Amino acid sequence: MMRLIRVVFGKELRDHSRDRRSLLSALLFPLIGPLTIAMVMTLLASWESTSRPLEISVVGQDRAPNLAAFLLRNGAHLSSAPADYESKIKSGDLDVVLVVPEDFGKDFLAGRPATVQIVEDGSNNRTRRAVERTKNLLRIYGHEIGAMRLLARGVDPELAVAISPDEVDLSTKQQQAASLLNMIPIFLLMGAFIGGMHVAIDAMAGERERGSLEPLLVNPVPPSAVVLGKWLATTVSALVGVLVMLAGTAAAVHRAPLEELGLKVTFGMHEVWLLLVVTVPLLLFTSALQMLVATFARSFKEAQTYVTLVMFVPILPGMFLSLSPIKPKPWMHAVPTLSQDLLMTDVMRGDPVTTLSLVFAGIGAALVAALCLVITARLLVQEKIVFGR
Amino acid sequence: MIEAVKLHRRFGSVVAVDDVSFVARDGAITGLLGPNGAGKTTTLRMVYTLVKPDSGEVRVDGVNSATDPLSARRRLGVLPDARGLYPRLTAREHIRYFGQLQGLDDARLAKRTEELIELLDMRDIADRRTQGFSQGERVKVALARALVHDPPNVLLDEPTNGLDVPSTRATREIIRRLKDAGRCVVFSSHVMQEVAALCDRIVIVAHGRVRAEGTVDELRAQTGMDNLEDAFVKLTTDEAQS
Repeated sequence: MMRLIRVVFGKELRDHSRDRRSLLSALLFPLIGPLTIAMVMTLLASWESTSRPLEISVVGQDRAPNLAAFLLRNGAHLSSAPADYESKIKSGDLDVVLVVPEDFGKDFLAGRPATVQIVEDGSNNRTRRAVERTKNLLRIYGHEIGAMRLLARGVDPELAVAISPDEVDLSTKQQQAASLLNMIPIFLLMGAFIGGMHVAIDAMAGERERGSLEPLLVNPVPPSAVVLGKWLATTVSALVGVLVMLAGTAAAVHRAPLEELGLKVTFGMHEVWLLLVVTVPLLLFTSALQMLVATFARSFKEAQTYVTLVMFVPILPGMFLSLSPIKPKPWMHAVPTLSQDLLMTDVMRGDPVTTLSLVFAGIGAALVAALCLVITARLLVQEKIVFGR
Repeated sequence: MIEAVKLHRRFGSVVAVDDVSFVARDGAITGLLGPNGAGKTTTLRMVYTLVKPDSGEVRVDGVNSATDPLSARRRLGVLPDARGLYPRLTAREHIRYFGQLQGLDDARLAKRTEELIELLDMRDIADRRTQGFSQGERVKVALARALVHDPPNVLLDEPTNGLDVPSTRATREIIRRLKDAGRCVVFSSHVMQEVAALCDRIVIVAHGRVRAEGTVDELRAQTGMDNLEDAFVKLTTDEAQS
């Protein structure tokens, strides 16, 4: 039995190492995820960069010389706004415009709230930070002036502060980063599906479509040996896909401008190793599931449709988790793909992962994989599968 | 030796094989002759264990193919109706794969591979990938992998179907050599001339039933027809209408 499994396994590996499409799906497609992460991070960093000086265009700067001096002291670059500043805001050429009305000086001296206008494009994420910083500076300036006025009248400015909210953020920097890096588990799950997809389809539906299944089964080989050999080949291909994906992700995270994003992420050998321990049992399951699904298809194209559809079903809980984080219940740790997603999220957040939950997830995936393989082996010798093409 | 005893098989409401019995002896070529849809392929599939008979049994050298299919398959070399090859493997790799599945050790496999390449005259194509092979070349590869374990019984389902004249003659030559080597050869065909030229015994099948069985001369005598073709038409149509 072991010898026959090895023979089938060896043939499938040799066959698929010569197949351009198998190689593509194991080596190239898994890189799409890491590339996306690298690009998104770089873009975010360029938008959020705090090292960039704050550029404020001002209308009527001479009406508020003290305010202008305060802004300059706080590192803002001031320039006088062009006449068509509104359209320039809309087109994104200007970040933020400060309009000082003619009455500013009169109101200010009279002790009435002096109005300034902040002109911004609220739908532009890129300028949101500049607008935030401008508003913040104005708020601080207002507080300072207000406090001085109260002092001048012999009132303790602290009386005007009834409540002082003190923000204590309990999420660590790593946990903040994890919300961005939540994509990695989803990409890893997809990597697990994509890497072996082509081998699974070709080994089952391809064998039927070519008419090579019947000659194969005429040999004195139990169907379980055929299925196990093909399954191992699929798993190896998926494993290659996940390794490529992990290496790509590690490289992407290392090169990403995390410092500039104010994120601290540890994605070293330890994390890669943990993710691998989480993913390998998942591969056993995804490969078995893909083979089962592909067995029902008469042709390569038909199988491709089914397998692609199946790929999205297990990814859905992952998507859901990343959008609305729920508190995981114990049973979720035994459901393949869901358990792996939970574990991966923990790893990415820097939370501790217990051996028990690893074992649980592994056993869950292995059991469902075994079930898929048993059904596949039963199907394989059915007349409608062997002869139905 | 292959013994088929009272084989029955229906698919839904269609009776594909209805009480088919025959014996194919070693060192002889037995032909299953019948029109398309007569039940030849289903009968062969029951012999090579991939279709289960509803009733009746097949014995391959005395081994019951329903209860011990793996032993039966070791004693069978089969060229099925489906001859799919793996386009990315070479002809030699096909022979090797099937040889390993049949449990041959490396030394015997190497020797057997050379013999088959010689026998089937496939020296030129042995190390080429099978993608783009002609029909004749594909049948050679399919035959080679079917015969790799030097089986005592050989089943060929319409072996010359779709072949040109030289390939057909080569295939017939191989069938004769198998007979000379003492093998039990069963092949199915709807081509009468071929069956008449090759076979020691002919089993005529129509509508899932055995219509007649015997040597060419016996069949002529049985129907009172000089010409085998007339005998064939008489046997496959008359009784069906009656």
